[in-house]
Amino acid sequence: MANTMDRRRLLSTAVLGGAGIAGATALGSLAPEAAFAAEPVKIAPGAPDPNFAEGRVTSITGSVVLLAGSDGALHRIQVTNGTSIWKFQPTTFDKLTKGDGMYVRGVRLPDGTLAADSLWANIVNLTAHIASVGRNVLYLDHHGKRLIGHVVPGTTAAVYNGTPAISDVSLLKVGGHVQVIGAWHPDTNEISIATVYAAN
Amino acid sequence: MAAVTGEVSWFCCGSAWGPCASTGRGACGTCTSGNFQHAWPNTSAACLAITRPDVCGTSLSRRTCGFTHYTTNLCNGARVGTAIADCGPQTDLFCGERACCGSACGTNRIIDLTPAAYSAIASLSTGLRPCSVDTV
Repeated sequence: MANTMDRRRLLSTAVLGGAGIAGATALGSLAPEAAFAAEPVKIAPGAPDPNFAEGRVTSITGSVVLLAGSDGALHRIQVTNGTSIWKFQPTTFDKLTKGDGMYVRGVRLPDGTLAADSLWANIVNLTAHIASVGRNVLYLDHHGKRLIGHVVPGTTAAVYNGTPAISDVSLLKVGGHVQVIGAWHPDTNEISIATVYAAN
Repeated sequence: MAAVTGEVSWFCCGSAWGPCASTGRGACGTCTSGNFQHAWPNTSAACLAITRPDVCGTSLSRRTCGFTHYTTNLCNGARVGTAIADCGPQTDLFCGERACCGSACGTNRIIDLTPAAYSAIASLSTGLRPCSVDTV
């Protein structure tokens, strides 16, 4: 029963067998929302999750990414053809670069490698207030620091008080509070805005 | 506590890269992005005075550091158990905000999960999801 094959077997087979996964279609969707519903979570509340890693990319060799965790840990990440990759938007493995910040969820293999199920590069989720607005840019105050948020025409979406997302950011107000999902530009105080949620 | 319906988001804490590097270990001093933890708007009187879910018509019980809540993503039914590690979200800043997946909706921000916990029930890129929160 292909649909009942769990992701651990799927990913382990793909990784250990050295073969790429020919896409998720044959085994059912691995789209994030479906994938996250597929397995119950068994980690104790409060505990570290061994199937999760974060850090900065120190090298990329073949399909293996090495991460230097912010806590000093080192992580070996195996990316497969079934890995869902986000970097400002859904993207492909070749867009990852050394220096990217990263969150990874996957399956820990016996040798300690994390077989990536989903990978988010440079993603940030910030609450801030708008200090000023320029052409395709928002100047944000976040924890007392200034961030430059770039609006990317055609990609940036705005959600005003829970209404459906639209591309028009002109309703954002100076002094207003916002939540921003975006992609950090490594080693700068700049981000590209994927979605901005505006408060009342 | 009966299950409370609202919105769930995520936040980073502890050792981190990028803009998250300045966030610290949270009000409980234990918060780490890679742990199954969360922020709750009523961890103390001082916390509640900041987050003010009551202003939005949402009453949340006082729960202190280490208390366990279970959050269910109403978009897919996925559920995760987490322990309190910080005060938040600031519910009153987004009063009346509503997130929906079809007919499953949640109004007002009631809980923020760490990246490890949120990514166990939803993609981090979604940012916000309707949820229910209970204690069992």
